[in-house]
Amino acid sequence: MRSVKSLDTAAEAGRHQREWFADLRRRVAAGEPFALLNADVPHEIFRTMDIPYAVSQWWASLVTAKQRSGHYLKLVRQRGYPDYSEQYNSVTLGSAFDPEPEAGPWGGLPKPDIIVGDASGDITRKIFDVWGQEPGVTFYPLESAAENEVPVNWWELVPHRWEEAVGPARLDLLTAELENLVRFLETTTGRRFRESRFREVMALVNEQEEWNRKTHALIARARPAPLSVVDSIPSVMLPQWHRGTEWARDIAKRFYEEVRDRVDAGQAACPDERARLMWIGRGLWYDMGFYQRFQEEYGAVFVWSMYLAVAADGYIRYGDDPMRTLAARFAAFSDQLYTPPWSSEWYVKEARSHGIDGVVHLVSDDPRGSYFTARALEAAGFPVIEIHADNVDTRTFADDVAERVGQWLEKVVLA
Amino acid sequence: MVTALAALEEAYARRGAPPAASEGRSDGRPLVVGYVGADMPVVLLTAAGVHAFRLTGDPESDFALGDRYLGRGVDPVARSVLARLLAGAFGDLDRIVVSHDCEASLRLFYALRELRRVEPGAGLPETYLVDILHLPHRTTARYNRRRIGEFAARLEAWTGRPLDLAGAVAAHNERSRLLAAVAELRRAVPARLTGRQFLAVANAALPVDEHIALLEQLLAEAGELEEHAGRRVFLSGSEHDTPHVYEAIESEGYVIVGEDHSFGDLSVHEPIGAAGLDALAEHYHHSGPTAHRATAGERAAHAAAAVRRCRAELFVAYSRIADEAPAWDFPAQRAALNIPAVLLERQEYGRADLAALRKEHPCVV
Repeated sequence: MRSVKSLDTAAEAGRHQREWFADLRRRVAAGEPFALLNADVPHEIFRTMDIPYAVSQWWASLVTAKQRSGHYLKLVRQRGYPDYSEQYNSVTLGSAFDPEPEAGPWGGLPKPDIIVGDASGDITRKIFDVWGQEPGVTFYPLESAAENEVPVNWWELVPHRWEEAVGPARLDLLTAELENLVRFLETTTGRRFRESRFREVMALVNEQEEWNRKTHALIARARPAPLSVVDSIPSVMLPQWHRGTEWARDIAKRFYEEVRDRVDAGQAACPDERARLMWIGRGLWYDMGFYQRFQEEYGAVFVWSMYLAVAADGYIRYGDDPMRTLAARFAAFSDQLYTPPWSSEWYVKEARSHGIDGVVHLVSDDPRGSYFTARALEAAGFPVIEIHADNVDTRTFADDVAERVGQWLEKVVLA
Repeated sequence: MVTALAALEEAYARRGAPPAASEGRSDGRPLVVGYVGADMPVVLLTAAGVHAFRLTGDPESDFALGDRYLGRGVDPVARSVLARLLAGAFGDLDRIVVSHDCEASLRLFYALRELRRVEPGAGLPETYLVDILHLPHRTTARYNRRRIGEFAARLEAWTGRPLDLAGAVAAHNERSRLLAAVAELRRAVPARLTGRQFLAVANAALPVDEHIALLEQLLAEAGELEEHAGRRVFLSGSEHDTPHVYEAIESEGYVIVGEDHSFGDLSVHEPIGAAGLDALAEHYHHSGPTAHRATAGERAAHAAAAVRRCRAELFVAYSRIADEAPAWDFPAQRAALNIPAVLLERQEYGRADLAALRKEHPCVV
């Protein structure tokens, strides 16, 4: 079942992404450096230096939406590597092994000169290090540090009081790593890093995410939901990968205005809305139609995904020292989504603000931490159903998931 | 059996058991600290005078509670440790200290921290994370120095005493020197210790001074050790906190003469140069190379050198289910070796797929 988008901003973001990628391929073909970046590392440095880049997870999502992830996992396996391990990154690695790269989506991912990822978990560094062994590819890893004690209410603290939320040890580490990254990029690409441009980029990111914050608040309040996650995910995430540009800021504003107009006109994703659902976990890229499957029969609408919510709460950082401020955006980014108490308490806050009736929780092997999320939500009165699957590996998605969710809606959420 | 070896085996059998000192701490007995992970700065625990021991799992006991809290995507060793903690299998611990040696340990720390917050009735003690990182850069070195300093201060706060760093460094250096000599006995041709025996010798649950005394005695009795002539195996990959896999492989006629995990050869280290926190931070920064923190290239180079050193005839890479890092190392390791290599992947905790091993590399003794 294909998803059906209805927002102009979602369509515009999709068009822009194709045009941007075609332009990126032209620039790389003309000899410009190309960086492949993991989602949770500071893209803002590359934006400031005008170094073309793509995001590993975005590429994996595109490959998966085109039903090609199995092909790339097979290539990983053919090289002797596991095809069952951290597929979100290894699918992208598979494109490095493709004997016909141009047969990939949209003409294929160009060969990167630089890869930047954080050393989170046991596998991410392995995957990108394997890629870094390919001729002409340099992998620049960043540490993934952890903290003993953290205040719970990170979403209130991080815009201004991020030093308190993240802690100085992690901030000192990442700030130093980023200063070194700038020097590395200046040396290897010949591009200049201008502080004035960096401040502009940082300001544009905050402006973009402030618009996302307004949109997020609007959707939380609106009854019925003016759109589902099928529209909100592309409308927020494609611009997210262009953070720090005027285009990204402006489309975030248009996204807000379009949602506001829908609310004002009383438009609904599902006119017969009976249940507001929350999707916790990464996007189900191989079956985005899943999110609309329960609207007609059950009046159940997925109104929440982490993508708009973390854009609203997880990115905004204000500060006088832009490099430390940037470090504050990423030194604990994945904790916001996957590490209790930050993750669990935030999901509860979000479920309350959005009037959620039920939570569908995609539990994959590699992000983990699911028990405390489900526990916190259930303790707060929100029913939770867990789906155990990987979001890019169709082999892991059981045939009966939709049926199980339907039964849960009938017997628990709508009972 | 050699007297010292028997005593060390007996002490190994007691690993993870509640220590006698866990009662009556109000009368001045030391704090009892259970620790987790290969990156634990054990020298600091010794310097603090606490009774510290490494928490290990048990593949034969039920760890459903660990599955519940950590999920099945986490190495079953961590799930088992958590289940055993909740069942009180380690006795009355005063503190738990966890290192960030792998994702499973970090997830275990987060679960313990959160359980203490939301389920205080579980009765878990204060839990502390020592976040030692391993990228080979000065930025990481400075971070580690800070974390080592914080941990030292925390230990002093817990005990109310200054650390005896000089004594602890000297003791750990001596123990490592003796363990290195014992490791040579296993590397002899024929081997004078099995892999299972070396695991017991290296991980005997003893205070450092008693461990040193028994290692000295074992070396003095080396001439009485049996010879083991099985096909010589280098075991790479996942950590083995119990002897199950060693026993399974050696029951087929192999003898494990070397490995690259922290319960085995990687517990033997270069001397720590000075009795200060700077030297300690540097020491732990450069420990390894473990499957979880080193690159495939580093692991392959280490494997090639270690295989030559212990004259192994077969390289067995073992990757436990939900502990996938060793499987990523294997292609580079195989390419770096000039002996047959086999990967046992997605292995159940405490088990080895011996059928695969037999099929690929039958052992002819």
